[in-house]
Amino acid sequence: MITGSLFLIHTCSLLLGLTAGFVMHRSDYCMAGMFRDAFLFKNTFMLRTLLLQIVITMAIFEIARLSGLLPLYPFPLLGFPSLANLAGGFLFGLGMVLAGGCVVGTLYKMGGGSTISLAAFLGLIAGSGLYAEMHPRWSAFMKATTFSQNYLTLPQLADLSPSLFVAPIVLAAALLFGKGAKKDFWQRPSQVRGYLQPWKTACTLALATLVSYLLLGMPLGITTTYAKMAAMLENLAAPGHVSRLPFYQIMSLDIVHPASGAVLRGGPGPRFDSIWAIQFPVIAGIVLGSMISAILLREFTMHARAPVRQYVMACCGGIILGLASRMSPACNIWHLMGGLPILALQSLLFLLGLIPGSWAGSKIITFVILRQRSGPAG
Amino acid sequence: MSEKTKQERIDIDMRGQVCPACLLVAMDTMNKYRAPLLGGKVRLCIKTDNREAITTIPTTAQNMGYATRVTKMASYYEICVGLLPEENEK
Repeated sequence: MITGSLFLIHTCSLLLGLTAGFVMHRSDYCMAGMFRDAFLFKNTFMLRTLLLQIVITMAIFEIARLSGLLPLYPFPLLGFPSLANLAGGFLFGLGMVLAGGCVVGTLYKMGGGSTISLAAFLGLIAGSGLYAEMHPRWSAFMKATTFSQNYLTLPQLADLSPSLFVAPIVLAAALLFGKGAKKDFWQRPSQVRGYLQPWKTACTLALATLVSYLLLGMPLGITTTYAKMAAMLENLAAPGHVSRLPFYQIMSLDIVHPASGAVLRGGPGPRFDSIWAIQFPVIAGIVLGSMISAILLREFTMHARAPVRQYVMACCGGIILGLASRMSPACNIWHLMGGLPILALQSLLFLLGLIPGSWAGSKIITFVILRQRSGPAG
Repeated sequence: MSEKTKQERIDIDMRGQVCPACLLVAMDTMNKYRAPLLGGKVRLCIKTDNREAITTIPTTAQNMGYATRVTKMASYYEICVGLLPEENEK
């Protein structure tokens, strides 16, 4: 546990971000694309690797829990399941497809030089800030539609050991994956320089999530810091307004880490707290890791010649994504890479909403791209 | 020296565009020019910096029966679809 040292928290988070950014750029490990391409091109190759990542994370989390390495189980910041997770998941799926990447995909693509992703990132910050204005009403909806105030995970709901769920899921996945491995369905040919087969990135990210949980007390997450960035920017122009918004007063993280004894406190307000210390270096690391990868491959360039319509769509997608990441609450990285492996009820509902949301986004993006298409030149 | 078949070249610059514009536009164009591409009258060349597209476009095109070639340029890639048989043999 390193939660007692701010320096170690920063260093660990930055290293995790750098690693994630580098490997995601190499494989173009885009979660928005995984769901979108399954609908748009009937291509489930990348979705399979996400499933692999979730199952590996599930197995190693359970081993760590049984070994007594996870004193915070379920991890902090998880809430009780409500309709808000489902609705937020739907909007999140829609937003990530329109933005051309999820909350992390936007970062690594931006690090690779994508100006479209820069537009989506600005939208993300704006959307996170916009949520603060509607928080009281959404929070009331979330409370009114909460299914249970007692159970955070499926094993808790069933009053059974997590192992009884994890073992059959991992076994079934191993059988499925083993059968598929004979057909080479983990490898695909690519002529792009420095290509990393996505299954390797899936394994790396599963390990990075475990390291984050073991050392920082929780899996990877970044979107509360997007809200913090919005609050900090807003605070420069209208500090009085920011201080009156209830959303920015919340302390969503307020625990004493049982292993290190460190007090972890933080929330979306414009403060440099524990959430900032954990999440901001991850954000910076993903952008930098991807940029380093692109520079090493001599692929880093910033093009700003995409049709204006695409910039508008990406920015709008970012705004929806920012809003949805607070409404859910939390993002796909938190829910799919962290919550789903422990069968968190919030994360299961989030996924249920995410799937139709991605489908809707795929329909819209196809319409926008093919409609704006100009005739070929030359 | 053998006489080379003349090919009309369609160039599309997709650099910097949102995902999955590159694959969508490539598929749309390949469907639109299916006969001339297969007959060697037309060649489609796409400039892209999207790593996923560099992986998916050649596979999709090959599944549709086209010969492809990927070339690394300065800071982007050029994917050509509809190569002539003599180039294919190289």
